[in-house]
Amino acid sequence: MEDFRFWHYDGESAVRRSVILRLLGDGFMPEDPDSGWSGDPVRWDRLTVVGREGDRSAYGHRERPGWRIGFSGEAPDSIARHLPAPERYGRWVDRIGFWPAAGAFTLAAAAVVFVVLQVPDWLAPLIPSSWEDRMGDAMVGDFGGRFCSTPAGDAALVALVRKVDPQGEARDVALANIPIVNAVTLPGGRIILFDGLIQQAKSPDEVAGVLGHELGHVRHRDTLTGLLRQLGLTAVLGSFGGNAGGYLNGVLSLSYGRKAESSADGVAIEQMRGAAISPLPTAGFFARLGGEEEGGTGAQTMTWLSSHPLSTERRKRFEAAVAKGQDYRPALDPAQWQALRRSCKADPDVAKPWGRGM
Amino acid sequence: MDEDEIGRDGFAFSGSWRAYAPIAFTNLALTIVTLGIYRFWATTRTRRYLWAHTRFIDDQLEWTGTGKELFIGFLMVLVLIGVPFMIINFGAQALVLQGQTGLAGLLTLASFVTILYMIGLARFRALRYRLSRSWWHGIRGGSDDQGFGYGCSYLWKSAVGSLAAGLMIPWSMMSLWNERWNKMSFGPHMFESAGDYRPVFKRFLLFYLFPFIVFAAGALFAVTAAQMQQGAVSPLALLGGVLFVLAIYGSLGLIALAFYAKFFREAVDGLSLAGLNFHFYAKTKEWLLLFLGDIALVVCTLGIGSIFLSYRHWKFFVTHMGCTGAIYTDELTQSQTKTARHGEGLLDAFDVGAI
Repeated sequence: MEDFRFWHYDGESAVRRSVILRLLGDGFMPEDPDSGWSGDPVRWDRLTVVGREGDRSAYGHRERPGWRIGFSGEAPDSIARHLPAPERYGRWVDRIGFWPAAGAFTLAAAAVVFVVLQVPDWLAPLIPSSWEDRMGDAMVGDFGGRFCSTPAGDAALVALVRKVDPQGEARDVALANIPIVNAVTLPGGRIILFDGLIQQAKSPDEVAGVLGHELGHVRHRDTLTGLLRQLGLTAVLGSFGGNAGGYLNGVLSLSYGRKAESSADGVAIEQMRGAAISPLPTAGFFARLGGEEEGGTGAQTMTWLSSHPLSTERRKRFEAAVAKGQDYRPALDPAQWQALRRSCKADPDVAKPWGRGM
Repeated sequence: MDEDEIGRDGFAFSGSWRAYAPIAFTNLALTIVTLGIYRFWATTRTRRYLWAHTRFIDDQLEWTGTGKELFIGFLMVLVLIGVPFMIINFGAQALVLQGQTGLAGLLTLASFVTILYMIGLARFRALRYRLSRSWWHGIRGGSDDQGFGYGCSYLWKSAVGSLAAGLMIPWSMMSLWNERWNKMSFGPHMFESAGDYRPVFKRFLLFYLFPFIVFAAGALFAVTAAQMQQGAVSPLALLGGVLFVLAIYGSLGLIALAFYAKFFREAVDGLSLAGLNFHFYAKTKEWLLLFLGDIALVVCTLGIGSIFLSYRHWKFFVTHMGCTGAIYTDELTQSQTKTARHGEGLLDAFDVGAI
């Protein structure tokens, strides 16, 4: 019989009792020797750890909410050996220890991130093109009526597309009345050239280079892959909360973006070679946007940069692709080029760039 | 013996940051290597430590929430709210692209209203969750209200608060505080909250007075600068201008702090439970020192110090809390309120405070 004192709450009222434990076969009974009060018997295996902080140890009961016994200091061994061990990091981590758990989690996390980054590359080709097409069409529709269309302008665009994309890999190439130096590839193999790009370009060859680049994204289904990757990263890193996850997410997708950009450049060069269009003007276009020459305001440069990381390396690659002695022809004749440049201004029905939202 | 008379100091904090540091650092390490998922268990460990080192009258508090229930709450929010909102967002973007701006605007407005409702609901449920996992003398708190009505109140009171150039904000804040606490209980007793917004109002008016002061100071500054220097802008005047702009932001922050310090004192002073009246003693100066300390801690440690913020805030809260009155422990019987099996996921998702 121990006379070691415990404090005790029965979970029904807040009255604090000072008790001793009368040991039974597989448990004990709390008793207050002063008042003669005694509680219901409790088996040792019903005890849970509520907390062990500093000097204070508190134990609860699995089936009786609020039922507590506790003590200060160390309990006598006859009782201590029956008490459950406290949880520290959480059950899983406690079982194998902090460092092994941290190592195992690191490996698992690396594997998860790797899979999320890689799976879109394997998954995207398996998604039927018809699904992607339908998604792209649902997203874009008629682009809020912002597509520029004049008979001469359309003919010029068709002529340009035939040269750069003779196999017709892009389902649709359109010109949008938006004064931003950019071009986008949307799901479903749809390429949209912005009027800002056409106005900023000094020759049709530059537009051909950008179109070839976007065609690379269509061929590799980069837009769909990127969407899937973004979705996966958001799901996996979402639980980080705050900015940390978003930041990591951005860095990871950007590094993958660069890889896709580089191989899209490869496609552009290949298509231009097939069409006998000189890659040199495209190199000049990059140089201009990079601020190495006159033209392009800061804001315009930024738009291109944000989605298309620009480097001297990229410019040099287009310069190096120039074949000596090759008989290059302009991508469009002067009349066609002028028609394309005037298309947005000449179209009476086109929606204003920012007229209907966006 | 059953009655404990207490003075101002019903609350005390006995933790030390050195003892908490091993918890904070291992929490950080495990959170990183689990891609953030350990966060929920980390929160639980932190609270277990903080509650256990908080004494109320004669005994420590206990936190019995678990990482698992917080995690389940998070997953529920992800599936029930995150996914639908992603779809709506995607849909709104597509509508804008197709020129259906009106429809897109309507969709965005609807989702904005829903989010606002959810924030109110989240606040209520987080408070309820925390009370239901906080034990003292073997007794816990809670609420039998699900908080759906509070969500509606939050919606319309926030809307009214923004009327009349925001003049109704103090009323809206205080009446929401009262509504929230009046639905909470501890053991068999209901909390009673009768915070008054009127004493707070004077400080709130500082926000409106401020533009006039800025205008006057700016005019004075411009005149002095013009007199001192005719023609070219002197570096001194430029420095003065920069300091002036910084002073504007600093003063606005100070006004907000002064208002909140007063608001929180009034709000807690209006709160009682059975025979206990709660008080909060921190003045603007203490709040300011808390935030300056936070900033110094985070900046000087390149951000790592932020793992100690919850510790600092809890310590601030407890050491400035007070309680007067009496509580009869034999009348304080077990709470019969229902407890949810999942944690404060909703609140977590919107990142707002519970109290």
